[in-house]
Amino acid sequence: MSGPLPIEVRGLRKVFRQASTGQPVIAIDRLDLTIAPSEVVAIVGQTGCGKSTFFDLMIGLDAPTDGSIRIGDKSPHADFDYFRGKIATVFQQDRLLPWRTALDNAKLPLELIGLPENEQRERALEWLKRLGLGNFTNAYPHELSGGMRQRVAIARAFVVQPDILLADEAFGHLDEVTAAELRETFLVLARECASTAILITHQLEEAISVGDRIVVFGASAKLLADIRVAQWPQSKHALLREAIQSTLQNNRCDPRLTLPAKPRKKKLRQLSSA
Amino acid sequence: MPHEELTAPVPVLAFPRQTLVSLLLFAACWEALSHLAPLLGIPPFAIPSLLRIAKSIATITPIDVVVTLARVIGALVASFVVGVSLAMAMYRSETLDKYLHPLIRLFMAVPVVSWILFAVLWFPGVEFRIAFVLMVVCGPVFLVDALDAMRGVSRDLRHMMQSFRPTTWQYFIKLMLPAIVPNVFTSWKVNISLAIRVVTIAELVGAVTGIGHQLSVAQELFSVADVFAWTLVLVVLLFLLEAVVARLEARILRWRP
Repeated sequence: MSGPLPIEVRGLRKVFRQASTGQPVIAIDRLDLTIAPSEVVAIVGQTGCGKSTFFDLMIGLDAPTDGSIRIGDKSPHADFDYFRGKIATVFQQDRLLPWRTALDNAKLPLELIGLPENEQRERALEWLKRLGLGNFTNAYPHELSGGMRQRVAIARAFVVQPDILLADEAFGHLDEVTAAELRETFLVLARECASTAILITHQLEEAISVGDRIVVFGASAKLLADIRVAQWPQSKHALLREAIQSTLQNNRCDPRLTLPAKPRKKKLRQLSSA
Repeated sequence: MPHEELTAPVPVLAFPRQTLVSLLLFAACWEALSHLAPLLGIPPFAIPSLLRIAKSIATITPIDVVVTLARVIGALVASFVVGVSLAMAMYRSETLDKYLHPLIRLFMAVPVVSWILFAVLWFPGVEFRIAFVLMVVCGPVFLVDALDAMRGVSRDLRHMMQSFRPTTWQYFIKLMLPAIVPNVFTSWKVNISLAIRVVTIAELVGAVTGIGHQLSVAQELFSVADVFAWTLVLVVLLFLLEAVVARLEARILRWRP
């Protein structure tokens, strides 16, 4: 772990060719986004808005058509190997290797970075215990419940104490009680590791409860709104949810989302006139 | 699960009663036929009695069994290593795949007898001939199965693995090879049966040791009892090898639900 890193996205563009017609499809169109070190950002958007494409570009598996993503001073795609053990991912499905036990799945990233075997074991065990799986370390994925499997996947992501944590609909397929519990655990661990985290979700409740910021994507990942959750007191979360919902439905920023900024402007005017 | 099922003794050797009955019936018919053969105008040597077959079994030379077994296992291991290595290379390189795939298809279409004739014409050494034939027949099966299995690994798992940035070697060792193990066991089962048949034909043609050679000797001596005895050895050998693979499979694939 080299410490929390900022993320700079500049003029990011990704164009695919449709397999059937050969027509270009713009998945991401000139996205600019800055994420501060240790910030937890939730990205919301409707299906097909380019969230998952953005996720793949962040992982570095795909190259942008144009523009850039910089994590610190490196590119996750061009400097792919540099980020081994520095970027960790949690996916929508647990994606555990079925032939490995919970312990062996959790220590997979440590094997890849070449840590000594006993250290791999100790660290993976520690993380599994923290996630309440101390009695299931030798269980195979098919012997675990959906929530437990997702816990193993979270342990697998945190075990390297990553600088960047990426989660794509990580809790979307779980029942609400398990999802809420795991969201909280995820947030506590992300804060503890001081990782810069991007959480992609279509669930507004999840975005509000986890994110320091909520970034709302419109079609082709057009940035519709960039909300600092701290500016919205708990009592106004219902209003915030409604405003984001309206932004997503109308594909333009709901005026209510700018509300918290107004008093600040007024204050500034008062200060300048004084 | 009922209590009785939990406490019921587990049979040491599971041998279904029906199998035993059908085998005993077959033996009884054979024995009856061997006694009736002269009355039916069939020469007595064509259907030997069970006692005569038992005598032939008693004269079986273990060295020939060991030699055939060694040839089969050696060639299967070599075919497996070459087949899976080539499959890994073809999975990595689309160009290599495009060049090799037609050749593999061609190899698989050539009849075994043709390969044996090629081997006899091309190579002077008996062992080399047999190894060549076995490898050229079994290798493509391992290759094609392994390649198909690698391509069948789910996109989700490939994506997950790549997101952790493994080296190419780690990618194969940690993901691809474990993922194809179930298919590899299927290939082994297919190839064991194939190899037993092919090695017998290959030994029949050119070898001076092994079960195939002994079958050839038995044929020259018109000894159906010896042919029967050696065939029985081949069948038992096949069952034993399959049982070993099945045990290994159950042990290694215990992670399967």
